[in-house]
Amino acid sequence: MKPRHGLLAGLARHFVEELADSLEAEQLAARAGFLQALDPRAKLLAIILLIVGASTARLLLPLAGLFVLAVVLSLLSQIPLASLVRRVWLVVALFTGLIALPALVLVPGEVIVTLPWCGLGVSRQGLRSAAFLIGRGETCVTLVSLLVMTTPWQQVLKAMRSLGVPVVVVAMLGMTQRYIFLLVQLALQMFEARRSRVIIAPDAAATRRMALAMLGVLLGKSLQLASEVHQAMLARGYRGEVCLLDEFQMCWCDWLVLLLALAVCVVMVLLK
Amino acid sequence: MTNDLIFDLQEVSCAHQGALVLGPLSLQIRAGSRVAILGANGSGKTTLLRLLDALHYPHSGVASAFGQRIDEANFADDEVNFAFRRRVGLVFQNPDVQLFNPTVFDELAFGPLQLGWPRERILTAVEESLARLRITHLRQRAPHRLSGGEKKRVALASVLIMEPEVLLLDEPTAALDPESQGEILRFLAEGQGSGRTIVTTTHDLHLVEGIAEHVIVLGAGKLVAQGTPAEILGNEALLRATHLIHSHWHRHADGEVHEHDHLHAHSHAHVASSITLATPYRPLQRSRP
Amino acid sequence: MHIPDGYLSPTSCAIAYGVALPFWLIACRRLKRRLHTRLLPHLALFSAFCFVLMMFNLPLPGGTTGHAVGMAIAAIVLGPWAAVLAVSVALLIQAVFFGDGGITTLGANCLNMAIVGSFVAYGSYRLLAGRSAPDALRRVFAAGIAGYLGINASALLAAIEFGIQPLFFHDATGTPLYAPYPLSVAVPAMMIGHLGPAGIAELVVSAGLVAYLRRSSPELLGGMHPEPAVARKTPRGLWYALAVLMIASPLGLVAAGTAWGEWGADAFQDAAARQAIRHASANIAPPSQAPAGLARLAEFWTAPLPDYAPAFMHSETFGYVLSAFVGVGIILLAYLLISRFVGGPRRALDPYR
Repeated sequence: MKPRHGLLAGLARHFVEELADSLEAEQLAARAGFLQALDPRAKLLAIILLIVGASTARLLLPLAGLFVLAVVLSLLSQIPLASLVRRVWLVVALFTGLIALPALVLVPGEVIVTLPWCGLGVSRQGLRSAAFLIGRGETCVTLVSLLVMTTPWQQVLKAMRSLGVPVVVVAMLGMTQRYIFLLVQLALQMFEARRSRVIIAPDAAATRRMALAMLGVLLGKSLQLASEVHQAMLARGYRGEVCLLDEFQMCWCDWLVLLLALAVCVVMVLLK
Repeated sequence: MTNDLIFDLQEVSCAHQGALVLGPLSLQIRAGSRVAILGANGSGKTTLLRLLDALHYPHSGVASAFGQRIDEANFADDEVNFAFRRRVGLVFQNPDVQLFNPTVFDELAFGPLQLGWPRERILTAVEESLARLRITHLRQRAPHRLSGGEKKRVALASVLIMEPEVLLLDEPTAALDPESQGEILRFLAEGQGSGRTIVTTTHDLHLVEGIAEHVIVLGAGKLVAQGTPAEILGNEALLRATHLIHSHWHRHADGEVHEHDHLHAHSHAHVASSITLATPYRPLQRSRP
Repeated sequence: MHIPDGYLSPTSCAIAYGVALPFWLIACRRLKRRLHTRLLPHLALFSAFCFVLMMFNLPLPGGTTGHAVGMAIAAIVLGPWAAVLAVSVALLIQAVFFGDGGITTLGANCLNMAIVGSFVAYGSYRLLAGRSAPDALRRVFAAGIAGYLGINASALLAAIEFGIQPLFFHDATGTPLYAPYPLSVAVPAMMIGHLGPAGIAELVVSAGLVAYLRRSSPELLGGMHPEPAVARKTPRGLWYALAVLMIASPLGLVAAGTAWGEWGADAFQDAAARQAIRHASANIAPPSQAPAGLARLAEFWTAPLPDYAPAFMHSETFGYVLSAFVGVGIILLAYLLISRFVGGPRRALDPYR
């Protein structure tokens, strides 16, 4: 039965895609584009301000303008649009669109168009509502993706630290991200090992048992790794205080970008 | 002279979950010496090394380093702890355990940061360390994207950056291809004149002569023998008893059955043996002429 | 169940962050005090494990697939506070790195899954597992049910957050600015999914992993509570606080949405009410009649439970919301009291460490 066998293969493919995506992000972050050159702290703060602006927008036109701004920024930072489309826009459109679609008919209001075969009316309010939903979703996720694609993850973390996030959380995030990849690789290896020994496609119950067994092994390995890593940390002097080192320097263009982002945010909030 | 005695273990034993895994054993390691700890898997080498690095505390007996006792009470004091960590560095066997920071740069900076060095000093030290082990191009790389040999070099760099007086290495050449092995060994050999104390665990016998002047053999957690490399490597019975070499039988196509071990080159001069064909044999390995 | 950006108004997001923040801070402080050296790598590894867990799509009876969040197994092994941090970190990475769940809605997502989900799962597990041995079969069942309850509690809270958006946050023409579906649509939609496939996935994963740990390392099933002295200060006090918070939270929402949510359809006819509305709407006079949409929405709610609307509330819709929260709060309170009496005398030392 193709579908069940395909489930394992699908999972393996899912893992590989995630790994590949993250590698691509690292490559993009190394390019010499506009956003890459900014100080990570300014970038983080600016993008947070723009996201707040997008969330508080009450008119569709400024929201669209913000989206266009995000696209322009990505072009300036040498991020290929195809990458954005594939990783961000399609996914958000699919997910948000699916949810927003029923809103077209469910939200009561002035009916613009009546669907022929079911008699339901698409309301203006429904249309606007759906437009807001999709617009906000796309804009916010695009902005976050810009941040992630133009900044190495550990720099994002250090920027968060300087914005006041507790150091324990930041240290944890860094270590988590590092070990996610290890666990994903382990999971992949287990899948490959299984796949190479499976002759007949297993049924759902067998697949479930296999998946659970793999999860159990992963869990055991995680816990064991955690103890070992703790020893390694102790061996290098760790006593519970986490310290981070960064090489950030703010220059005038970072401040300028920050101010502009603040201005945009304020405008969006005030426009009604 | 006791003032150049770095580690002094007196009837020390270590337990894990109630079971005795090491000892009781007594051991002294002097400053500047290069020691190899030999033992098969499960012989307690890693536990001994971690004991020397004050990651495990002895269950009984007295262990001291630099004149200080290794026990929980003593090491609860930050000053004692930091002073010790500065002077002793341990390179773990599994680099995925040792490299827990998001990038190579962070990994190298971790130790000095914990020791409280000023920022400029750390940045300079990181650059020097990267250059010394020829890994400057890996500066911003994430650990999961490094090859085995690169990981080992980064692990070594992350310990050496603190310029420890004592270097403890847990099976440094395990899982490395011959070229990477050679690099590590060359590096260790370079450090010979520096006066640094190097303690290495391994079960790879052909490395021993190059990396140590003094050899300690562990078997099932006990100290079985110590001596110079020549003495230990020449003692076949000892090596076999501690499972560092094994004997096996094999059967040739012409029906001859005999035993040999891997330390000496196998020659096809058949030695008359008292083994009859009725004796069950272990057909696990093939002979390598 | 990861709420994306744009579905919750900034006010709701801010409130969610506000509620989540004390839990995060308390979690950080508690963990720092207790196992400040050992816990960091354990937390990080468990967070990574939760993240990877969320990538596993399990085939479920019935032909569908679902994926588990892992809040139950995290709460069982690490304890509820550490689970809060571990799951929150996994959600943060998903939101930032993989776009799963929004940044503005991260507070709400963490509140639903990491905080409420973990505590409900942990409480249920402790209640159901009771004082059985660490490798008892009972713990497997307890874990499964705990996972199921945890994920459904999260889903219910998320559904409520979705459902109240169109009530409070819409523009002058009645267009819902954020999530467009009222409670009557949101709650069934979310709950069907989670009482069904997703809940079963979490149940299967929690039970399965506990069954695995039962064989390999049963001592973990008592949770990583180190010193008995601290273990005695159980999160019970915070359960009470959570219950009170849930009961009181609609008041917070009232304060936030006061300009827009209190009008019934008849308010548009009443002169005094009109004045109030005009005042709250930058002096723009409200339409002489209730907008058709608003009137229609108001109708949805007259049917269920109108007597739950307290006297000072204008609209039954708001009373419904209030009753939902109060109901959950009361359930929690009742459960706490029951467990207190049924659980028996508490021992100073947890033997299952």
